[in-house]
Amino acid sequence: METTTDVGTVGRARHGDPDAFRQLVERHSKPIFRVAYRMTGNEHDADDVVQETFLRAYKQLEQFEERANFGTWLHRIAVNCSLDLLRSRGRHDKHYAGDTADELLQGEIKAVDPQPDRLLLSVELQQHVTAALERLSGNERTAFVLRHFEGMPVEEIGKTLGIQVNAAKHTIFRAVRKLREALEPFVRSSHATSQ
Amino acid sequence: MQHLNEELLVAHYYHDDETPAAVEEHLRACGECRAQYETIRRVLALVDDAPVPERGEQYGEQVWNRLRWKLGRERRTGVRWQTLVAAAALVAIAFFGGLLWQKRNVAPALPERSVATSALPAAAKETANAIAASPDRVLLVVVGDHLDSSERMLVELANADPKKTLDISSQQRRAVDLVASNRIYRQTAAQRGDERIAAVLNDLEPVLVELSHAGSSLTPEEVSALQKRIDAKGLLFKVRVVSAQGGRAEQQRATPIDSNSL
Repeated sequence: METTTDVGTVGRARHGDPDAFRQLVERHSKPIFRVAYRMTGNEHDADDVVQETFLRAYKQLEQFEERANFGTWLHRIAVNCSLDLLRSRGRHDKHYAGDTADELLQGEIKAVDPQPDRLLLSVELQQHVTAALERLSGNERTAFVLRHFEGMPVEEIGKTLGIQVNAAKHTIFRAVRKLREALEPFVRSSHATSQ
Repeated sequence: MQHLNEELLVAHYYHDDETPAAVEEHLRACGECRAQYETIRRVLALVDDAPVPERGEQYGEQVWNRLRWKLGRERRTGVRWQTLVAAAALVAIAFFGGLLWQKRNVAPALPERSVATSALPAAAKETANAIAASPDRVLLVVVGDHLDSSERMLVELANADPKKTLDISSQQRRAVDLVASNRIYRQTAAQRGDERIAAVLNDLEPVLVELSHAGSSLTPEEVSALQKRIDAKGLLFKVRVVSAQGGRAEQQRATPIDSNSL
């Protein structure tokens, strides 16, 4: 985040300079895409979230406090847009990829024993990580992404999801446990190989 | 020794545990818990590398190009209805004022127009005076703005997938406004003898009327029929041409009007 540069640009955008807002869009699109993709797990949805995020930011620009970090503020909007999108599609508390992810995970566990080294270094492993993330429920994925990638405090995650702090903490734990169940074989293989 | 449970280890990893020092101490002393913690740490490190699709260097620019249309619409939404009606009223006032002036063959009836527009804000009065000074150019500017809004709607329609139902809930209200102003502009253009503008507005009106009556969505058949109509009349092209002329007229209007050209 280029906070120093943002301060002046945001100020100009608030005074109706369209070129300033264009600069903010061009500067922040990629990071916002990353958080949107991690939240939604879908490339096209993430692109939609990026659009919606900037649209909302534009409408709410007057409400932005200049002392705050513009990038952080945008991230919060992107998280809310992602949640709205997931909720609107009824995906929020369901598994993201259902059978496909399950099958991939099953296959992966069977495949891990014969050639762990090859798998560990391959693109396939990334696919398994992706599948493991897709296997999380909407709440689990959201809570995990917000805590793990965004570094959001548990209290705030609770507020974002509309749940108690302890419930938020437990949701993060459930997510990590599922990820561990899916990915531990690779970790063990890696550990064994490296020793 | 009682082992640490997995939930506590996860909380410790994220610094969300209440007694981190005690957990650290336990981990130093307990090999089994340390191994558990190490596994969690490794799994999460693996997740750190979860791929995110790459977006090219031009991504920000692409986002902006898609966005600026919507932002333009946002800026206009708040004042659209009032602006269009006020502009249409001013065109009508200027037109009938001009007729009156010709009939009386006297100096421009500025006082009468001032009375007619006395309820309008200063900016609108300024526009009314500008219309009186150069009615053709201002008509082109105002119609250009109207066509600019219509063009955006037509583009969205023309680019819609004809196999799918199209949600136009956000545009239907806009279409209602556009129909109302389109009628006034069309009549004014016809009365002023500007057949070219009147013809484009005449072709545009049925499409706008259909959109304004369509409800919140269009069936695939309706989308397809409207796309054919737009295509058959070369409507988008005509609208763009007149709209562009309006833009040029606006640029000229922004510069002081040369009294010699009047």
